[in-house]
Amino acid sequence: MSGGPGSSKRSATAPDECRRRAPVSLRLVRIDDRLIHGQVVASWLRAIGAQRIVIVDDATARDEFLREVLTLAAPEGVPVEVHDVASGAARCSELARTPEPVIVLARSPRTMLALRQAGVPIEVVDLGGMGAGPGRRRLHKTISVSPEEIRELRELEQLGTRVEIQIVADDRPISFRSLDSGN
Amino acid sequence: MFRKFAAFGGCLALALLLAAALPSVALAAGPGTSAGTPTISVSIWQAALIAIGYYLANSPWLFGLAFFTLYRPLVAGLLVGVILGDPAQGTLVGAAINVPFLAFGSYGGTLPIDPGFAGWVGVTLALAGHLDPATAVSIAFGLGLLGTIIFYTRMALDSVFAHWADARAEKADIAGVALMNWLPGQAFLFVASFVPVFIFALNGPSAVQDVLNRLPLWGVNGLVIAGGILPAIGIALNMRFIFRGSAIPYFFIGFILMTASHGSMSLVVVAALGLALAYLHLSFVRRDSPAHAATAATTATGATGATGATGAMAIPGTEPALRLTRGDLIRSWALWTFFAHANYNYERLQGTGFAHAMTPIIKRLYSTEDEIRAALKRHLVFFNTEPNFGNVVHGTVIAMEEQRANGAAIDDDAINSVKSGLMGPMAGIGDTLSQNTITPILLALGIGIAGGQAGGTAVPTLSNAVGNPLGAILYTIAISVVIVAIGYTAWMQGYARGRSFVTEILRSGTIDRVLIGAGVLGNMVLGALAATFVVVNLAPTVNIAGAQMNLQAAIIDPLFPGALALGLVLMTWWLLRRQVSPLAILAAYLVISILAAYPFFGPGQKNAGDYSYQACTSSLLHQYSPCGAPPAPTAQLSPAPSVQP
Repeated sequence: MSGGPGSSKRSATAPDECRRRAPVSLRLVRIDDRLIHGQVVASWLRAIGAQRIVIVDDATARDEFLREVLTLAAPEGVPVEVHDVASGAARCSELARTPEPVIVLARSPRTMLALRQAGVPIEVVDLGGMGAGPGRRRLHKTISVSPEEIRELRELEQLGTRVEIQIVADDRPISFRSLDSGN
Repeated sequence: MFRKFAAFGGCLALALLLAAALPSVALAAGPGTSAGTPTISVSIWQAALIAIGYYLANSPWLFGLAFFTLYRPLVAGLLVGVILGDPAQGTLVGAAINVPFLAFGSYGGTLPIDPGFAGWVGVTLALAGHLDPATAVSIAFGLGLLGTIIFYTRMALDSVFAHWADARAEKADIAGVALMNWLPGQAFLFVASFVPVFIFALNGPSAVQDVLNRLPLWGVNGLVIAGGILPAIGIALNMRFIFRGSAIPYFFIGFILMTASHGSMSLVVVAALGLALAYLHLSFVRRDSPAHAATAATTATGATGATGATGAMAIPGTEPALRLTRGDLIRSWALWTFFAHANYNYERLQGTGFAHAMTPIIKRLYSTEDEIRAALKRHLVFFNTEPNFGNVVHGTVIAMEEQRANGAAIDDDAINSVKSGLMGPMAGIGDTLSQNTITPILLALGIGIAGGQAGGTAVPTLSNAVGNPLGAILYTIAISVVIVAIGYTAWMQGYARGRSFVTEILRSGTIDRVLIGAGVLGNMVLGALAATFVVVNLAPTVNIAGAQMNLQAAIIDPLFPGALALGLVLMTWWLLRRQVSPLAILAAYLVISILAAYPFFGPGQKNAGDYSYQACTSSLLHQYSPCGAPPAPTAQLSPAPSVQP
């Protein structure tokens, strides 16, 4: 609860109003450990008509080479920005106020939580790709989570952000809560 | 998600088949013995060959190319045709079935629909059951949805085998890891794909024909009408990728070329024109994107330090003690090309495939058990990229392994971060190139050649066309050459030049130019294909100067030939852009097609034989052609038997 009860209430209701009046600018806010790849470029980008991709990831922002590859990997005409968490939060909040449809990508729930706590108005977080590994439990198809990440995702829900699994745009979203309840 | 698909496919295909199975069993009428119906002849051996064909379409054995070839209904159609003794008709039906699947792509373990199942089973049903190709298109869509069950079962089960590979890695057993990547997964896949297709191939044709015989004629006509309408979905799905910006006019050029020539223009000619126009477009209309050029310029200065070649050959001075041979590289590449998806699973996707591909490298570079174990485990983790262009990742990683074995300070983290950092972006580019651009364009060309030989009438239809196996053969050759060339080049360049190759090829704008040129060509071919395969025939008549004239034949088509088909395609594209689900559109179009065949306005019919002409004006849409003249009867055109048993 960074901004007090008043602000959190407002940010929880604001997306609903937006949905009725104008499309939400942060059209897809997605956790995906591969960041930009086929599902994002081939399915999501076209399906929602996004015109910009914002990547928020501290490690990638430090890596000159990966930054350039990601910048050049998106289809022509779709600018890609790579930010660390601090500048990413400011940039997302700024973009959320513009009409331009944007895709926001982060590698981990922790980054997403940090964005949310910094006041970025995120209505839905999409779990798009979280690989398996030691200590990780499979939640659904290609989505695996660590206990730590479960806690972070629950915290996101408590902040009023819905967490859903929707791997490609044509899939029907599955709520994280429905899969988490059996835990 | 897949449950919804499966349920839908089940309703459409299974119900159709099984509902009729009981009566035919009760009558004890074996296949091919019932009087009045054309002979249905799928022998046990033919069914087994077809089932093996479908397994091969999913298997790694054909140099990893099955996904681009046997898995596509166009190619499956030719092969089923060869097995059942009618390659031309098989190719034609395969081509028709393939159109709605034109935009098919599988990204990161998702499979919206299974074109392989639709192709192998759909063409079998059509050939053996003597179905109209258009009817086969409708049925095949349901089959495609049903087939996804096989894929999703396999994706879940193969995760288990990844753990078997882990156990082998723990024992530093290189051959064991390789074996676990293919043997258990393929054994399961063989059973899971052989059995259902064998059963469908053996029993499906008579069951389908039985059902069709029991349907009222307007129901059968509805399926034929749907067969002309459903291709609009495949074409519109594909348009989502290429029908953009300055490339849009080329779609209309392709469409008009085809309708203006009454479908007589060869798709090869359209494609040749498309290539010429693509060159002009790149030269005069569309120069290098300023946005991209600017990005490249700003990043170029800072990035040079990070883009040094990673290949061991580039280390100056020292001669490395452990050198990979060209043979090691080729073996490794071949193993990947074959087995990347042999054990595809939800947990690691291509993870075990990557480890399998690294086995020749590990054998050469590492000798102690600890090193081998560590290397195997390092490469058994989650991995997924586009398996052709994405090979730059493997090449780069192999070069890093070589340096590491020679004592360079490269830790697990460095290798993992290259893999996990590059696999995504390379998949994004690779999928755009191979799955969204090259495959659909070559497929569209092949389909056009395969189904383009109209039977000499003014209005060519699927029912009077003669299939041309050359379409399937040329497609197979072309796609194989392109895919292997991309995969091999990316692998070897990734090894020799590593990161600098990646940045160089991205900065050069070559990929953008290829995509823009392909967009021009693709739009032309897609437009031409829409004119051939999307069929809308209005039935109602209007009174013009005292004479009853068909609305479409008298007014719409003289003004703009094919306007209704074009309108349908554009409307479908618009719906998709409004984020209406393709499945919802499919369901709606099926219902509309069947309703539109119902004789609301006029005399129903007592005899099946005289329906199509006399009752023509009584429904909204008509199959084959706008009403006016009855279609020439052909052998394939008789879904209903004239003799009542």
